[in-house]
Amino acid sequence: MAGRKAGFDRAVESYFGGLYRYAYWLCRNRWQAEDIVQDSLLRAWRAWPALREERALKSWLFTIVHREYLRAAARVPRTESDAGAEEAGYDPDPGGALDMEQALQELADDSREALLLQVLGGFTCVEIAQVLGASEGAVMTRLTRARQALRRKLGAAGGATGTVREPRTA
Amino acid sequence: MNCLEFRRAAMLAPRRLDTEALGHAERCPACGVFLGEALGLEAQIENSLDIPVPHGLQERMVRNALDAPRISRRQALVAGLALAATAGGAGLLWQRDDPLALAGIDFVVFEEAQAILDAKPADPASLRRAALQTGIVLPAQLGELRYIGTCPFAGATAHHVVLKTAFGKATLLLLPGRPLGTRLIASARGLHAAIAPASGGSVAIIADSSRGIARIESILKSG
Repeated sequence: MAGRKAGFDRAVESYFGGLYRYAYWLCRNRWQAEDIVQDSLLRAWRAWPALREERALKSWLFTIVHREYLRAAARVPRTESDAGAEEAGYDPDPGGALDMEQALQELADDSREALLLQVLGGFTCVEIAQVLGASEGAVMTRLTRARQALRRKLGAAGGATGTVREPRTA
Repeated sequence: MNCLEFRRAAMLAPRRLDTEALGHAERCPACGVFLGEALGLEAQIENSLDIPVPHGLQERMVRNALDAPRISRRQALVAGLALAATAGGAGLLWQRDDPLALAGIDFVVFEEAQAILDAKPADPASLRRAALQTGIVLPAQLGELRYIGTCPFAGATAHHVVLKTAFGKATLLLLPGRPLGTRLIASARGLHAAIAPASGGSVAIIADSSRGIARIESILKSG
């Protein structure tokens, strides 16, 4: 039992930051995010004895968080974002961070979820497709749309346009 | 690869471009600028998403989870079956990822593209010297050499080699003077890594498949 607990502890240690941030950016509320992660860890620990494949561990944990978020969202409507309540002095460029937060918030849910999994979880399109229950092609479309929208909204760090247009061939 | 294909790839995953795409960005100034912007946007996204995790939260949550009442064996069995379905039947056994090998994967995912963009022309003679010092040779059958350079890795300077092999793109990091007692492995982010001991140091091999890694190791040993 002690070994099993230590194994669970190690696994959570590896991915906790990513899981918490994923939950936070899904619901954009710190307290809800904590509830989602806590419920997810409870579920994960209960199913832990049956875990046989560490390779699937990360996507399994993120899948649990995603489903827990969907359950929470079905139980209670999305509460107000507490994005402005971050600790003072956290971001060296608060103006830029607010623009990015706004731009992220305006993304379609499915595009934002795919982008969060890619950036926070480091998942491939195939893995994202498994977590979200979508096709790989759909995930690729969502990721491209998400970045196009962010480039468009943020002026693309130097004025690039937000669409992939036919350039002159090199 | 043409410019449109390159830009589609850069909008999909700018940190995971293959050697063909990176080669295109080197040859095409407009796409080089586009890649620079895409990586800049990526850094902005990563910075914004990287919110602080409340101090002590992890410990508290793990403790709560571990102390919660256990469920019945039947429920555990059902949960296990659900887990097996989630895992997708990959059939791969429990395997511990080594931190140094994971660092090799992280290097390829997060730093390689920028390292190649920032690189100055490399000296093939210095790569030969590094290989000699590490105690390996780099035979031609490894594949097409697409990039050589040096880069910081795990607190030392590594000789960075990108190859186009029959199994796809592969990255080698030659670590002269860093001996290893045993072979280290990891899998993450859709990539596999192995760090193999050599007589004068070690070599990290990062590729899309463990089969590709095994093939490269076998060529390095036979060379």
